[in-house]
This record gives sequence, structure tokens and C-alpha cells, in this order.
Amino acid sequence: MLDRASTFADSDIVEMLKTKFVPLAIDQAYQRRQKDAEGEFYRKIAGQGPRKTKDFQGTTQGFYIATADGNMLLYNNNRDPQKVRRLMKQKLAEFRSSSARNASVAKIDAGKLDPRFNVEPPEGGLVVRVRAKVMDGYEKSSDRWRQLFQTAVSRDNLWISKDEHKLLTQGRFPASLQHRIARYHLVDNTRGEPPMWQGKEIRKSEMAIQDGKLWGTIHLQTDSGDRGYQAELLGTVEIKNDEIVRFDMVALGEFWGEGRYTKGAPEGKFPLAISFTLADGADVADKVPPQGSRGWVQGYLR
Amino acid sequence: MHKRIGVSCLCALTAIAATLTQHSLSAWELSEQDFKRLHAQLQPQPDESWRTIPWKIGLLDAQHLAAAEKKPIFIWAMDGHPLGCT
Repeated sequence: MLDRASTFADSDIVEMLKTKFVPLAIDQAYQRRQKDAEGEFYRKIAGQGPRKTKDFQGTTQGFYIATADGNMLLYNNNRDPQKVRRLMKQKLAEFRSSSARNASVAKIDAGKLDPRFNVEPPEGGLVVRVRAKVMDGYEKSSDRWRQLFQTAVSRDNLWISKDEHKLLTQGRFPASLQHRIARYHLVDNTRGEPPMWQGKEIRKSEMAIQDGKLWGTIHLQTDSGDRGYQAELLGTVEIKNDEIVRFDMVALGEFWGEGRYTKGAPEGKFPLAISFTLADGADVADKVPPQGSRGWVQGYLR
Repeated sequence: MHKRIGVSCLCALTAIAATLTQHSLSAWELSEQDFKRLHAQLQPQPDESWRTIPWKIGLLDAQHLAAAEKKPIFIWAMDGHPLGCT
């Protein structure tokens, strides 16, 4: 989130990415594990960087610049726009003055894909955009990065299966979908990768459809009580020609606690709003798999 | 115009936060008005510059384009997808 609001809000960087580079955004947890041509190519690049670990078990996150034949020109894990801009210009100049610029490079054949890490939205199903925002409760801060976290709106996608889609058109809110929304999408992911809820942490979950309205109530809480969310849900669903054409919903309630990668939550209970909107495929991010499906999409969709 | 929208959004957020702090959850209900307002507020802003970048999400797609256009690849590699995780 910080990168989106800092590095990629810089007009020079944006312009260079549009015109002088091929910009790529990935969750490297996929590529560093993939047993296929894409994974091999990623590991070839990342293996030249400082974050290479044995068998690529550790994170390799950061910014890379590489040639089409896999020669790493830059690794940088600092999002400061001034630094990124300077390094991009420097590496672009080096690329242009090298033989790589005019080299003929063969396109890599994808070959057989690793099915665990090449997942597509369910055929006949739906993709719903999910966004969350902490509405209040932070202590005021003059720190720029903290301010970005405190005003962040997170992003994720909810996948709905073909069977669930069909039940929704019949005015039913499938239990499997309720369970998935509760476990993986009613989370505070505004400051980083959130802990998902375990099934046993769903203390109460009621979601229903009536006369085109979605409504629900939820109580999620860990055994220790150190993290939880109690919220109401309300929304609208529209059906046309046996297909869902609108799925707008909001959850609003009190959240408390934080996770290993979501430190810095407001003290005590704080209001968290989460919106759901049917994706139209116009945004490249509509193709991104849900965070909760990482590496086990069958488990996510069951 | 932008300033007016910003002030309007801030007022709405403050009102919702006040609603939450005034009512216990058992007694509190999300109104139709809250739903519409929040749903609109949580949509992405059209002027977010990072969204204007033609991101690829497949490394080999990027490799093919880089080979064809003789450009370097800029890789934004994160834990969690940078376009849709946090």
C-alpha cells in the first residue's frame, strides 16, 4: 500500500514505467516457488540479488530491473521515490548503452504450468472487489509513512464459484460463501498481510438475501480475545438473465487487535469498514487471486 | 471542487465514526444511508496515478513484451500481490 501511495505516485516514475520499462507487479511468494518456466525465470533474476535464500524459501520482495534474458540490473528494497527515480534513470542509461538494448532475445515458452500457482477465477463464477479502511481511532502522527497507513484503503478479490453464483441468483446466500467471506475477507489488511480467521474463530455468522437486499451480522474472535471483529453487513444484489449483475455490500463494525504483519493498529476497538463490489474485468487487478487462496485455491473455494 | 469533495468525505467519515462510538454494537445498525455512503467512499479514486501504469501480472508476458520492444522489465515483487493484497 505504501508503494502505491509513494513510489508509484511520483509522476516521473509513472512516466518512465509507462514509456521506458515493461512494468510488472507480482506476489513473489508464487514465482519463487513455481515449478515451471515462469518460476525458473523469476529465480534466475532474483537469484542474482541479495535476498536469495536456500531453495528460495525466504522472501525475495523488492524492486528489480532486469533484461528480457534475465540479467538483473538492479535490486532495491527502498521505496523512497527520489531514490527509486534516480536508480531507474541510472539503470536505464546503463541498459541503453549496453549491448543488451539491441540484443535479440527469444520469448520464453510457458510450457506446462505449475497448477498450484497458476489459478484463474472460477468459470461461471464471480470476482468481487473487496476494500477495507480503518475509519477512526489512530493517534495523530506527523510521520508521513504512518499517515499513509492510517488513511490506506486496502484491496483484495473475493472469488465466488459457479454453484454459489447460481444459488445467489435463486435468492440464497450459500453457507460456503458466508464462510469464505468471514474467514478471508472480513480482515484488517490496511497495514499489510493480515492473519486470516480460523474456522473456529467464527463465533457468529448470519448472512442472507431478501428482496434484493443483502444483510448480515458477524462476530469473529480469536480464542485469546486479542483480535476480533463484530460487524453488521448490508448491501444490494441485482439479477439479470440468471446472472448476478450487481453485488454491492458493506461491512461496518468494531475491530480490535493486529497481526504479525499488520502492526500499528489503533489502540482498543476501532471502526473498520469493508466494501464489496462486483468486478467488471476492466482493472488488471481483477485477475489477481484472493490473498486467502495463496497456494491452496481448492481450500479457499471449498 | 476537489477540496469541497475532500471536506465532504471527511465530514461523512466523522459522522460514521461518531455513530459507532455512540452505540454499542448490539444496539447499532448499519443504515441504508451508511451503506451507500461507505460503499461510494471505498471505491478507488480515478486519479490514482499508480493505476494508470499498464502493469503486467505475468512474468512471461512481461518478458515477451520486453523482448519485442527491447525494454528492461521493472518488477514490483512483494509479499502479497501489490495490486490486490493490502
